[in-house]
Amino acid sequence: MSEQIQRIPVEITVNGTCYKREVEPRMLLVEFIREEINLTGTHIGCDTSYCGACTVILDGNAVKSCTLFAVQADGGEILTVEGLEKEGELHPLQQAFSTEHGLQCGYCTPGMLMSSLVLLAEKPEPEDKDIRKCLSGNLCRCTGYQNIINAVQTAAKDLREA
Amino acid sequence: MEMKFKGSFKVSLPRAEVFEVLCDPQKFAPMLPTFRSMEMKDERTANVRIKVGVGRIRGTASTDLTLEESEPPLRAHYVGRGKVMQSAYQISYTFDLEDTPDGGTQINWASDTELAGKILSLAGGGLKGYAEKEINKLILSVQQGMTPGAPPVILPPEHVGWLTRLLNWLRGEPKVEQAAEPTAPQETFQASEGLAAQPDDVLQEQQEARDRISSILQVTRKDKAMGRKEDSRLVRGRGLFVDDYKPAATHHMALVRSPYAHAKILKIDTTAAEAAPGVMCVLTGEELAGQIQPFLQIGAQACALIEDYPLAVGTVRYQGDPVVAVVAETLSLAQDAVQLVDVEYETLDVVINCEQALEGKTLVHEQMGTNVDWQGVYEYGDVDAAFAEAAHVVKIDKLHFHRFGSTAVEPNAVVATWNDALGGIDFLSNTHMTIPITMVSLALGVSADRIRLRTVDIGGSFGNKIGNYPYMTLAAIASRKLGGRPVKWIETRSEHMQAGTQGSERSYFDTEVALDRDGVITALRSRHVDDCGAYTRYEPLGAVIWAQVLPAAYKLRNIRIDFSQEVTNKGPAAPNRGYSRLPHMWFMERVVDICALELGIPADEMRVRNYIREFPYETPNGCVYDSGDFVLMLEQAKDLLGWDQWQQKKEEAKQQGRLIGIGIGTTLDSGTNNFGQSIIVNPESPFSGNAVPAIAKLDIDGSVSVTVGSFPHGQSHETVVAQVVAEELSLIPDMVNVAIGFDTERNVHTGQNGTYASQFAVTGLSAVHGAVELLKAELKTLAAFALDAVGEEFEFGIGEMGPEVRVKGSDRCINFWMLSNLVNANSAQLPEELRSLDLNCRYTYRPPFDPVDLDKKFGNLTLTYAMQTHLSVVEIDPDTGRVQILDYAIVDDCGKVINPMVVDGQVQGATAHSLGAVLLENMPYDDSGNLLTGSFTDYAPITINNIPKIKFGHRESPSPFSYNGAKGMGEGGGAALHSIASAVQDALFAKGVIVRNSHCSSNAVFDMLQQPNREGMVQVESRS
Ligand code: FES
Ligand code: FES
Repeated sequence: MSEQIQRIPVEITVNGTCYKREVEPRMLLVEFIREEINLTGTHIGCDTSYCGACTVILDGNAVKSCTLFAVQADGGEILTVEGLEKEGELHPLQQAFSTEHGLQCGYCTPGMLMSSLVLLAEKPEPEDKDIRKCLSGNLCRCTGYQNIINAVQTAAKDLREA
Repeated sequence: MEMKFKGSFKVSLPRAEVFEVLCDPQKFAPMLPTFRSMEMKDERTANVRIKVGVGRIRGTASTDLTLEESEPPLRAHYVGRGKVMQSAYQISYTFDLEDTPDGGTQINWASDTELAGKILSLAGGGLKGYAEKEINKLILSVQQGMTPGAPPVILPPEHVGWLTRLLNWLRGEPKVEQAAEPTAPQETFQASEGLAAQPDDVLQEQQEARDRISSILQVTRKDKAMGRKEDSRLVRGRGLFVDDYKPAATHHMALVRSPYAHAKILKIDTTAAEAAPGVMCVLTGEELAGQIQPFLQIGAQACALIEDYPLAVGTVRYQGDPVVAVVAETLSLAQDAVQLVDVEYETLDVVINCEQALEGKTLVHEQMGTNVDWQGVYEYGDVDAAFAEAAHVVKIDKLHFHRFGSTAVEPNAVVATWNDALGGIDFLSNTHMTIPITMVSLALGVSADRIRLRTVDIGGSFGNKIGNYPYMTLAAIASRKLGGRPVKWIETRSEHMQAGTQGSERSYFDTEVALDRDGVITALRSRHVDDCGAYTRYEPLGAVIWAQVLPAAYKLRNIRIDFSQEVTNKGPAAPNRGYSRLPHMWFMERVVDICALELGIPADEMRVRNYIREFPYETPNGCVYDSGDFVLMLEQAKDLLGWDQWQQKKEEAKQQGRLIGIGIGTTLDSGTNNFGQSIIVNPESPFSGNAVPAIAKLDIDGSVSVTVGSFPHGQSHETVVAQVVAEELSLIPDMVNVAIGFDTERNVHTGQNGTYASQFAVTGLSAVHGAVELLKAELKTLAAFALDAVGEEFEFGIGEMGPEVRVKGSDRCINFWMLSNLVNANSAQLPEELRSLDLNCRYTYRPPFDPVDLDKKFGNLTLTYAMQTHLSVVEIDPDTGRVQILDYAIVDDCGKVINPMVVDGQVQGATAHSLGAVLLENMPYDDSGNLLTGSFTDYAPITINNIPKIKFGHRESPSPFSYNGAKGMGEGGGAALHSIASAVQDALFAKGVIVRNSHCSSNAVFDMLQQPNREGMVQVESRS
């Protein structure tokens, strides 16, 4: 305990801004995002990597930020929910979650949005089963999921038609 | 949890030599796999440090290993006791030696491991395999140690774990070769390797993925419609949940919790924790008990004797019972220090089920003298006469409703700040009722008006977080001890599973049902036992609200239920979606199905014969079911499902040996409590009726602001209030501001406020309606003065200058700003008689309830009754017990629907909860009181993959008792528990199975198939 806590320098780009910090090796990426750079849209809901509330996009892939150490994201590019809107305008995916009532308490929503965004980037015309597969690691206790599937489908359509 | 292993092997050394090694702790201990270091405490005992871990759960365990028995040269027996990660274990190793004919030795070994605590609930199922592997490593190591000339045992290079490799790499040191690890730790995240020089194709893939994301981010959408008012912040990640709130100098609290379900606390040593870096204070139960009062007990019987403090005092009563609180500058430092607290326990016998509780050999709370915290008999009509006249009597020996929880994704949380100067406390919390204020206020001796309780965004709760108050109290005390620094406590998921989310379970004994010749149920008698876990929090009041739906959907008038509630050594129950009524209606649906099957009446026909037909309907205990039509709902649901086609398919499948079942679940969602029912558990209770206020105000700029006293956590109150107010004032919803969350300082609460028990559409909106009516009256009075139009009729609308009041059918108008200005900034213009107007109108809605008659347990306990009918078709795999949903239909009637989107959302969400509960989710305890599903991974809450496609239908039977015809709703979706059990019952009846438990997971159904139980469990007596 008495030994000096070791710190490691990292450079992580989040939503386009590069943050240089010295962090403890044990710091989780989600702690880095929420506590070091104060982006609290990314949430924590469990301690066994189950709920997906902490999902962010790291170098183009959806990851559970509670399951990575901050040092593992060193040099990486991260997108969090705060990075979805553009000049105050919502992204079609955010809007579709709202219009389809794909959220109630909103706690799972940031994670849902980030996972779905990766799916839509890869598969512009997803089938329902693709959506289920993509979101099987994101828990929602409020909606019963049907409206989330509808939201991703609506967003897919809006993105295709945009 | 106990794990036993044994085996034997031979070595060439003679017995005496083998014994010499095995009986010497100094020689034996280093053979333990992952051995780190040791220190002899005395001749027979060594303190050994070893590394242990399963998956993500890792730690160093310190074990006192004692040679308890040695009988040269026959036997050596070691017992090791130790602690790791807030868990306790005991391991024994026994070696029995025999000579072999060739002069060697045969070693017969046995090992027995007992575990208690958090590690169990976290690592759950992984432990057995882990223990087996470890013991095999030990034996291998012993074996090789005894074989002269054998190469040394190579244990996996755990000291060069992946993190070390990563750190080395980060420091630019040469990469450590990755040794082949037979037990690769599961948590190894491949990206660690990914950080080393990336092959080009990986880099290329990454670049493509990044490009795809940036291109999809460029797209915008033209139509900017939003679904709900709340969404604008939530989809941007700009909500304010408790953990997002970070006032300056916030400190963090972490808890030491009991690994045992029942134990005496012998000693608590916090010295090391207090000296740890960053630690600001440590609290124990003893310290608290001298400073605060135990929490108020609602009930008057034995439960009144329970002493409930935020930290255990003297005895721990469930696994996870908080023992010590540590507050430090950061959360990690607090968690580090938690590991340094040393608690010595002496374990006690445990009470794990209601049979043990009833037996009373072990008492959870000694001072109660019993484990029954409350008991009462509910008797209506002439039960004995009805049984004497019955054509059939069906007897069911025992049914059981299992323990599960709603497990919101955000756990309990609070930030408490004690302000000495003001003599009060500021809470930002995610509880959702004002009762916690009363609890905290009485425990701490702080007047309620000195307690500020705020909520902003709450990440779901479904009732659970009403149980947050012990932690709110604890954080407040910690803040006081720190001279008023804010103290934040965020429950971890595993803590939430053990202590924060469990619904109570219920057993139903000796049920007897009287029926007439046509299968109409005429009477029922039964004994129900509720298990609320270790403490009565909001109990036994919660337990008795089942009486709101005493006969469920059925017209029987003669009922006798002997109801009791017991305490056990399990997590304290919290209110849980469907609270108490859901278990009761599940029971009634089982009774109806079992009777139908036993008498050979189809399940739908049985219901039609027994459903209540006329509304309003007064139940035998005085509740009034307001409106609806069960028969039509069933018909509609059958059409939706394609009932007849499924019956046909079921018959065809039967021919092929397949097991298909069709089930019905009928349910009532009773909303708007009459707190008068509290006298049933406490005749002295000073509570009755219900009171919910709202404020409608014209602000100084003329904008309309509405404040309600609810604590929404997903129920869309901002949206619905704006919609209703806009309609009443002829505005558009965006013109109505609705305050976010709850705040005592808005002065819009009573002692009964909250978001619970399906009531907002009635209580909340009635209050809003009342406040808006008052506001409208004031606006008209002012307009009459300002427009010189006394005696004229007025209307509201949007004019060129914004919202306005007009003389009906004319262009004489005045806008809201000018009216507001008259009152707020230009009042000298007002005549004397109008100076009492302030355009800040508070109205309290009080539903028309009467007090409850205590002797007869009679009275109207709730105002409205929404209804749902669920139909399901399931197929059961006879080999595995897997239940697959083939079709599902729901018809919902919650009176006048205010916002269809919100109502549908609630129906779907509640249905998912109950589908999860019946098919997946369960909170079983082992015989020593260890929770076996202490993490999400073990509990496996329902995911998007388990949700079937559901067909929805609606009916609207307006309630005659609410101003808007609406009924409270949000809990009726629980009917999936009934309908799936009903379908499983339908499929398995022919196999001699009675579904006696509400948990129909594959495992449970597999067991049902293995042990047909109809004989002995159900008896039918028929009179000719
Ligand atoms: S917090 Fe639950 S998966 Fe990350
Ligand atoms: S909206 Fe509440 S958890 Fe998904």
